[in-house]
Amino acid sequence: MTIPVTTPVTMPASLPGRASGRLRGSGMRGSRRRASLPVNPEADGQMPDRLPAILRPRRRTFALNLALVLAIAVSVGFLSAYFAVERGPAFGTLNLGVWEARPSQGTREADPYSAATHARTGRVPLADGEGLVFLARTDSSGALLSPACDYVIAGQAAPARLWTLVPLDAGLRLVATQGPRAGLDSRHLLRRPDGEFTVTAAARARPGNWLPTAADAAGLVFALRLYDTPLTTGTGVANVPMPSIFRGDCR
Amino acid sequence: MSARTSDRGFWREVLDGTLPVRAAMILLAGLFLGGIIHVVTVLGVPAHVPQTAYARISAFGPDGVFNRLPDVVPGAEPLPMLDPTMLHAACRFDLGRGPLKIEAALPPPFWSFALFNARGQAIYSLNDRTSGSGGRLDVLVITTEQLSVLRENPPEGLEDLIVIETDETMGYALLRAFDGEPLRRDIVEAALAEARCTVLAQQ
Repeated sequence: MTIPVTTPVTMPASLPGRASGRLRGSGMRGSRRRASLPVNPEADGQMPDRLPAILRPRRRTFALNLALVLAIAVSVGFLSAYFAVERGPAFGTLNLGVWEARPSQGTREADPYSAATHARTGRVPLADGEGLVFLARTDSSGALLSPACDYVIAGQAAPARLWTLVPLDAGLRLVATQGPRAGLDSRHLLRRPDGEFTVTAAARARPGNWLPTAADAAGLVFALRLYDTPLTTGTGVANVPMPSIFRGDCR
Repeated sequence: MSARTSDRGFWREVLDGTLPVRAAMILLAGLFLGGIIHVVTVLGVPAHVPQTAYARISAFGPDGVFNRLPDVVPGAEPLPMLDPTMLHAACRFDLGRGPLKIEAALPPPFWSFALFNARGQAIYSLNDRTSGSGGRLDVLVITTEQLSVLRENPPEGLEDLIVIETDETMGYALLRAFDGEPLRRDIVEAALAEARCTVLAQQ
């Protein structure tokens, strides 16, 4: 082997730009001391050594990578946490028609998202020995409930010793209505002989079972609270009747 | 010149695949770390809420007695998501001062009782049908250590009490009584005013 590593290597003029980073910026380009280039013995010293990409010296710093990682982590972590807590993923939701309940909400068995959402709002849950709150945000056709519309809530409620039906706004707050009472309850309800009932939710008084709502409220959610219901023990969830909600006139 | 060479280095990295790999690594590391932040944040929320129901109840009267919460009316709900057709009374307790005895005799048609911890989570609940003593509520809330002390010298009538053993020392008890008939409201109000929430002395 007579490859003279120390002899000057002749290089095409176009090569230095592609050479390894050790040369770059060292001020040696003009000095013709190309002998210090690492040469590739496999190529008879005719080509400068190209290190594999992974071994090439890094110019972009560790600090920049760390900053990028942290920026992604902070934005992804906090934004996703905020939206998860704000919207609340529907783990353990019990859906009966348009009515939605979260039996574990407000208990120590609640999932962390539900617990965080619940703690932030400071709401008082109905514990399982007391009853279960069902919320309806849409009518039976799937359209969002609007405070400007009248609704007919008809059918039968799930078995419970007592239930109350109260209109709320989108933030689940009570709204001031023209009615003398805030809601309806199962003990003061006109029913047909077959046990079915028809409730009219409207801002103005209606004959029959009138549930007063507020036309100027921010959103409309119906809260049906079933007290002392077998649903909280998880028995007989199948084929449980719940009232349907139909939209009437809108202003 | 340096701009040109770093530019060339950039394109070389794009071409030989270093840059996409590195970007993917940075993204993956960011997502993993973001996942940890997400979990820690969500789990940490309940402990860092200033306006818990437990904190708000202190506005309605002293601790250790049942305070009648104001009527649930629009714009002035004492606590969020209370039923406006119910009358409520709440008692904040601290089991560090001794076991808590809760007594109430509420009228039909419906009442319910629930215990919440300081974070607002329900730890025990019953209603007038499940209370098992004809509409009377007799409950003893007690920690495990206090119960072991109590067993050595049981007070009379212990077997008639519902004993709730809990590891939560702070919390509140909430009574709900149905307020359906306006004419019977006075009876319900008087019964709620008679509800007792007393700390038992324990040596």
